[in-house]
Amino acid sequence: MSPGFLLIHAKPPRAAALTLSWLLFVGGITAYLWVAQARHRDNPEDRVTPTVAQMAKGMWSAAMQPAEEDEAVSVENATAWQQFSRSMLWKDTRATAKRFAWSIVLLIPAVLIGLHMGLFPFAGVFFLRFVLFFDKVVALSLLPILFIAFGIDEMAKIMLIVIGVAPTIILDSFNLTRGVPPEQVVKAFTLGAGDFTVAYRVVLKQILPRILNSIRLNLKSVMLFLFAGEMIASTDGLAYRIALLRRHMGMDIIIPYVLWVALLLFLVDLTMRLVNRKLHPWFHEA
Amino acid sequence: MLRCLALLLFAFSAFAQKPSFTVGWSVYAGWTPYHYMNKSGLLRKWADKYGITIQVKRFDYAPSLDAFVAKNIDACAMTNMEALDMPAASGVPTTAILIGDYSNGNDAILARGGVQLKDLAGKKMLLVQKTVSEYLFDRAMTINGMKDQIKKVRAINTSDSDIATAFLADSGASAVVTWKPMVSQIAKQKGIASLFDSSKIPGEILDLTVVRTDVLNRPDGAGRKFAMALAGAWYEMLGQMSNDKVLAAIAEGSQDTLASYKEQLVTTKMFYKPDEAAAFGASGDMKQKMALVRQFCFDHGLLGANTKSVDEVAIRYPDGSVQGKPDRVRLVFDIGYMQMAAQGKL
Repeated sequence: MSPGFLLIHAKPPRAAALTLSWLLFVGGITAYLWVAQARHRDNPEDRVTPTVAQMAKGMWSAAMQPAEEDEAVSVENATAWQQFSRSMLWKDTRATAKRFAWSIVLLIPAVLIGLHMGLFPFAGVFFLRFVLFFDKVVALSLLPILFIAFGIDEMAKIMLIVIGVAPTIILDSFNLTRGVPPEQVVKAFTLGAGDFTVAYRVVLKQILPRILNSIRLNLKSVMLFLFAGEMIASTDGLAYRIALLRRHMGMDIIIPYVLWVALLLFLVDLTMRLVNRKLHPWFHEA
Repeated sequence: MLRCLALLLFAFSAFAQKPSFTVGWSVYAGWTPYHYMNKSGLLRKWADKYGITIQVKRFDYAPSLDAFVAKNIDACAMTNMEALDMPAASGVPTTAILIGDYSNGNDAILARGGVQLKDLAGKKMLLVQKTVSEYLFDRAMTINGMKDQIKKVRAINTSDSDIATAFLADSGASAVVTWKPMVSQIAKQKGIASLFDSSKIPGEILDLTVVRTDVLNRPDGAGRKFAMALAGAWYEMLGQMSNDKVLAAIAEGSQDTLASYKEQLVTTKMFYKPDEAAAFGASGDMKQKMALVRQFCFDHGLLGANTKSVDEVAIRYPDGSVQGKPDRVRLVFDIGYMQMAAQGKL
């Protein structure tokens, strides 16, 4: 290997690239296993760092058995799928996914507001100052007001996400809209386009892939706000379960749950990336 | 050079000769005295007497338990229920050395709109699940013969820092189970009535100071000194609690006012005298109450998914009797230090 193998011109061979890309995973898992083993040697009943077998068992029961607060159903002649569809994991995932989906849907108007702010001067002056300010408000600190306005049920959790994430999306859409060369807008007008054709078919069309990327980057904030909401007051959901299990150090289920959330979020991100590529084959950033 | 090294070693060993311990506490009427004990130098006085160093750290309640289970701190203030389902059930043998008080009305079930316990089925109720709040509710329903209705109540797990505002803001919630000072804050509003409180189950929600058993049994004996210093400082502190000035200073530890702290003490049965605490610890009464608590913990899965029987996390009492399997004793009630305090032998 040339001495410059770590420099800019380096071209890692396929095998090396594959190995290197998994190295940190292996390192992290090894470190965990080492700590877990040491702790279990010291105290066989340790619950802080469960072994892989304990986590597998915990996750298996989470995926196959109904939640403690639900009625146990007869498990005879139920298929694995039927069992899973009544399980704690499925119940929690469904509840969280529903809130997640609603908040993503409610973020669509945010994109439109940003677009209008960028194109229509009156919309711009009306919203910009307020949104800039509102963006800096820490939504979590407004909880008591949210409770009064939206109760403590689903609405409050979804609004917490929307209030937390929407300003960022609005400002990002606004900036992307402003980034479209004004010549294009003028050109579209000379070709006979109306105001809304310009907005939706010329500008929105070309900033959409970047907006999707911006939403992708904000998925984690969405999840953070969702988790905060579920931990504050809830009867189901992935974060509810984690909050509950924390009370008695149920790390054998908490760790798999956290990994499960990461996997789901990764899949949502991947789907959005693929959809983006499919919808906008001409777009070649990121 | 060699002499230099020897000197350094000597200095180091002299430093190491003074063992250091950490005690964690969180805000609660019965534990806030730790703040004053530390600030007033009372604890240092006792630590010096036994030649050790004691550090006091304030936590939120849940993190204090985590820190104790992770062995980051040596002693911690917690309830009997958490002592059983957190450290003891996680294989961290724990010894209760001080029985500080029991909740005598600090925890309560409050409802709005004239709702009674029997009306709660199908209604929304806010509480921090899997804590003494749920235990209190469970006991209330059991005592009133409505055990079968417990599961029919729509329990909403609500974080304790938001529970008061959440209940007051959401008129759709019929009841709330929580503890003071939130109880006082909620009860002040119009149309709210108390349905049940911990004064009806006296001695079941105990507030303890616990030490890790392996710390207590350190071969150099410093663990015992630590426990003796804590007990000595604790009862000297409690002896001063008739003084308003001291009470105000204690209240300060939780950003509370004197009036509010006094109101909380009314519903806290403090064992001001070590002999009272020791007598309670030695009584058969406490055993019966712990039996209820441990059964609750087991029924709610708080002893861990791998715990197949309630007897796997056993408790040993001062008279040597054991609840559960004798080879699996994880929680010990040791009244020796309270007795020493009572006899003035500390």
